[in-house]
Amino acid sequence: MSTTPVLDVDRLNVAYDGFHAVQNLSFQVRRGELYALLGTNGAGKTSALEVIEGHRKAASGTVRIFGRSPRDRRAVRPRMGIMLQESGFVPDMTVQETVRLIGRLSGRADTAERVLGVVGLTRKAGTRVSQLSGGEKRRLDFATAAYGTPELMILDEPTTGLDVRSRDDLWATVDRLREDGVTIVLTTHYLEEAQERADRIGLMHRGSLHREGTVAELTRALPAEIRFRLPALSPAPPPPAARDGDGRFLIETFDLPQDLYSLLRWARTAGVEPLDLEAGPTRLDDVFRSLTGR
Amino acid sequence: MSPIARGELTQILRNRLVLVTGFLLPSVSAAFLIHQRELFAGIGGAGYIAAVLVFTVGALGLYSSAVVTLASRRQNLFLKRLRSTATSDAGILTGLLLPITAVSLIQISVLLAVLAVVADAPAHLPLLAAAVLAVMAMMLGLGLATAGLTDSPEHAQITTLPVVLGTIAVAVWVGTTGTGELTALKLLLPGGAAADLAVRAWSGEAAAADVLVRLAPTLAWIALALTLAVRLFRWEPRR
Repeated sequence: MSTTPVLDVDRLNVAYDGFHAVQNLSFQVRRGELYALLGTNGAGKTSALEVIEGHRKAASGTVRIFGRSPRDRRAVRPRMGIMLQESGFVPDMTVQETVRLIGRLSGRADTAERVLGVVGLTRKAGTRVSQLSGGEKRRLDFATAAYGTPELMILDEPTTGLDVRSRDDLWATVDRLREDGVTIVLTTHYLEEAQERADRIGLMHRGSLHREGTVAELTRALPAEIRFRLPALSPAPPPPAARDGDGRFLIETFDLPQDLYSLLRWARTAGVEPLDLEAGPTRLDDVFRSLTGR
Repeated sequence: MSPIARGELTQILRNRLVLVTGFLLPSVSAAFLIHQRELFAGIGGAGYIAAVLVFTVGALGLYSSAVVTLASRRQNLFLKRLRSTATSDAGILTGLLLPITAVSLIQISVLLAVLAVVADAPAHLPLLAAAVLAVMAMMLGLGLATAGLTDSPEHAQITTLPVVLGTIAVAVWVGTTGTGELTALKLLLPGGAAADLAVRAWSGEAAAADVLVRLAPTLAWIALALTLAVRLFRWEPRR
């Protein structure tokens, strides 16, 4: 297997109108990986993606896809499918015409019928794009990206506007593509999707990549939390429990099972029942909040 | 490129507004000119009608439709979508503009053929063809440049007016008054030299040396329009 990364972003800088949207961004995506590029609004991920997709020039730095410039469309595009954040379809074209047109221009071999079947739009094949719902347009967008099963797919907020069932269907399709070895670069506002599915995550904030790693690596640096109340006149729980701002007790821990067990054992011994007990591992949301300070 | 062109042709046939404003209106205007040719016999004859006809179809059919098509495809991000494929920028633009160019060319050919049948036939067909092609190239270049300044198809109704009115007015002026007076001004105005070439090609007054003199300003306008297009054309909407 080739060791060349599918996507190699090296010290990328993007600027426009005097604003530095991306600063010294570097990351690599390996073959078969699902890499999630996450960030707050205005973090620079859309600007970075636009360079990766070949739609925007970098101020400095390089982006290589399969070792080639993303602007070398003839060489790169047949190997990559792009699901744009906004649809970009002609309203008067039918679903089938759209997939057929974009598919043929992609340089990959496939049929519109197969791809529409994959995304569950077969019955809408003859429908004009203007008559599709927002979710159906996202599925159509995914269909054009998945046409011919490219080696790399860029999915820019793929599930925005989809209902739960459509979202599950889309992820099931992505899972099947990954089984075929397709590499995925994903941006999403749904952190749980990234937490569940990404092999590695890059967290962008204010134009820079602040953290990168697997979910375990990212969450390891932050403590898990146990929160609870105690009935009035109960004895104070032992340290490290401390009162939080809401009058509840908070235990921050890097060993959640052990500290939760200790708390419950203390409660039994003291004859008190912890109320509104909440305990869970550190989530990506917590990492995100610690990054943005919100 | 050809899948884009096929798709665009389908859109043209489906879109009644484009059919009416881009193709029916110029055809009806040109048909009216041909029908009323006796009225123009005193001021310019068939050559004059041919020049105005070429510019009417070129401005209303080709130029306006090119601006509307490009602005519309950019507004709904279809240009960005096409740039996400393996097709080159030149291939995308060619695919988008080929159908309206072909339809306009057929329109002009048919209308000129009708004019030749009902009035006099053109004396120098190759020169007339050169004038027609020069006008079409200029209109396409100006269309690309104007599309850069046009945010939406609705906006195109305003942004296309100067070129549409200007070029047709120049063709009418040159066609009715000739280039005997104010020669340099008339030849340097956009479309002036091409209109004069069309008139002379039809009447048989054109000499070989005249052709170069009359093609040069038109080629300069084409070069200027393409230079402006390179500077002004945008693939994505303003943010």
